[in-house]
Amino acid sequence: MTHRFRTLRSLFLISRSGTPRAAFLGSSWPAKMAAPVGKAARGWSVLALGLRSVVPRLPGLTQVRWSRYGPEYKDPQIDKEYYRKPLAELTEEEKYEQELRKIQLIKAAPAAKTSSVFEDPVISKFTNMMMKGGNKVLARSLMTQTLEAVKRKQFEKYHAASAQEQATIERNPYTIFHQALKNCEPVIGLVPILRGGHFYQVPVPLPDRRRRFLAMKWMITECREKKHRRMLMPEKLSHELLEAFHNQGPVVKKKQDMHKMAEANRALAHYRWW
Amino acid sequence: MLKRMTRLVSGARQLDPGRLLHGGPQAPQSLAAHPDNQVPDGSPRAVSCTSEGDPVRTFNEACLMVRRPALELLRYLKNTNFAHPAVRYVLYGEKGTGKTLSLCHVIHFCAKQDWLILHIPDAHLWVKNCRDLLQSTYNKQRFDQPVEASSWLKNFKTANERFLSQIKVQEKYVWNKRESTEKGRPLGEVVEQGLTRVRNATDAVGIVLKELKSQSRLGAFRLLVAVDGVNALWGRTTLKREDKSPVAPEELALVHSVRKMVRNDWHGGAIVLTLSQTGSLFKPRKAYLPQELLGKEGFDALDPFIPILVSNYSPKEFESCIQYYLENSWLQHEKAHTEEGKKELLFLSNANPGQLERLCAYL
Repeated sequence: MTHRFRTLRSLFLISRSGTPRAAFLGSSWPAKMAAPVGKAARGWSVLALGLRSVVPRLPGLTQVRWSRYGPEYKDPQIDKEYYRKPLAELTEEEKYEQELRKIQLIKAAPAAKTSSVFEDPVISKFTNMMMKGGNKVLARSLMTQTLEAVKRKQFEKYHAASAQEQATIERNPYTIFHQALKNCEPVIGLVPILRGGHFYQVPVPLPDRRRRFLAMKWMITECREKKHRRMLMPEKLSHELLEAFHNQGPVVKKKQDMHKMAEANRALAHYRWW
Repeated sequence: MLKRMTRLVSGARQLDPGRLLHGGPQAPQSLAAHPDNQVPDGSPRAVSCTSEGDPVRTFNEACLMVRRPALELLRYLKNTNFAHPAVRYVLYGEKGTGKTLSLCHVIHFCAKQDWLILHIPDAHLWVKNCRDLLQSTYNKQRFDQPVEASSWLKNFKTANERFLSQIKVQEKYVWNKRESTEKGRPLGEVVEQGLTRVRNATDAVGIVLKELKSQSRLGAFRLLVAVDGVNALWGRTTLKREDKSPVAPEELALVHSVRKMVRNDWHGGAIVLTLSQTGSLFKPRKAYLPQELLGKEGFDALDPFIPILVSNYSPKEFESCIQYYLENSWLQHEKAHTEEGKKELLFLSNANPGQLERLCAYL
């Protein structure tokens, strides 16, 4: 199903025949009620206390993609600094929270999340998106090779440049990665809306997470498809990241095309009702 | 295991010989080809690298960390008695601890002292993935490897240009009906013959080794035989004949000549060897001891030798390695500068030099 239905926070339900159908629960449905949906559950667990039973059981439909954790389960605290604070420095609130955590039920931390200082959620997300068939080892090695390739290319440029230019050359692969993805994020997107039997492409503001997803998706698709058969992924990806960092290259062009199409269709903007 | 030999045109900063003699921890990475006052500027030197990236392109320099095993070896070499038969030193250790780079350090030292260097960067490359195996012209039972032999001759020529004109051949060698090398001609001619006529390259290698071995006792030069991955000479090969029957290593002419070279029946130099599991065939991954990697045959052939263990970084070495990376801005991650980051790197790499390098590559 398209992202649009996620935006409306609908439930994913399957009918007895087994085909998934999105159930529209009305545009005024508050976002809180989406608690049973797997990923959305985390942020809303406190508010969704006891809400699971209130979810309307539409006849012939059962829930799919839900979390096995009940609403009483809290998220694990992975940050090392949280536990290292000496007792004297804690405020009343924090002391209460720590006491509470001893009694509360806590979910298991996912295997990919570590308390390492070098961990980066954006890199982890990108690695997961690159992964195929659950082969995280390969995806992670491709990611590290890409970062290394970016670093080496920048170092070569640095040594070949004059003293003034050296100050402008960025050698940190992580800043390059983040900046490149930021440059690829579209601000406005197009959504197909059904009106009078036809689907119209309506310009719509995109939420943050959709923008980040689109940037990463475009980057990965570009690197997978538009490369020579013998070229390796790290090589191509490092090249694309460097181009995107300088606001050039095919991914930034795709973002700009998206903006142009949204600008062209701005007459249809009133079809949007949210 | 060495990946390749690259040429390095000297242009790096001058190396103070004192830095090598003191035990002070210096920088890692591959071989330094620093010119001293004795070596003329602009002379190309062959350099061997273990890492994926070329450190010269990355850092504009190539540096080595001075470590205990290399210093021990240098001390032994300085005190060698050239009248006694050549002593064999075997560097062994777990994967990634720095055996190859210690070998490179020793080679560099000997090159500075004007020894003749006979360096085989990776003996494993000679026993696997060989496209063309010709029947040897010299001995019908053995096989020639023209590609490997000619590339080795090229590197040998680059490394020892000066000696090629000084050393004279002591016998006449007939290559074919039209070509032959007379007695008394410089060794450079044999090398040229091997490079131009690739079919005779293996025989040229054999001749070069034989001549050097017989002439080292005369005292005109000191010979250093350095072989990386010497356990390849006594293991198994993955090469097959046309009828798909396997080839034993002793049936390869190159391996045969190097085995003769590594025997301690000559004097006037030293033999430094390295064991390596990384490129080896049919050996378990965890094997690193001489007995395990050489097998009975190899161990008996090399016995007696002086084993030198190369281990992981000590805390001081680790610290200096991190400092080197920080000075060169190789560690770009902002958390890598902190104590937390350093502790994490120590934990993740277990002070193993190879693992640390791979970790710091993407940080």
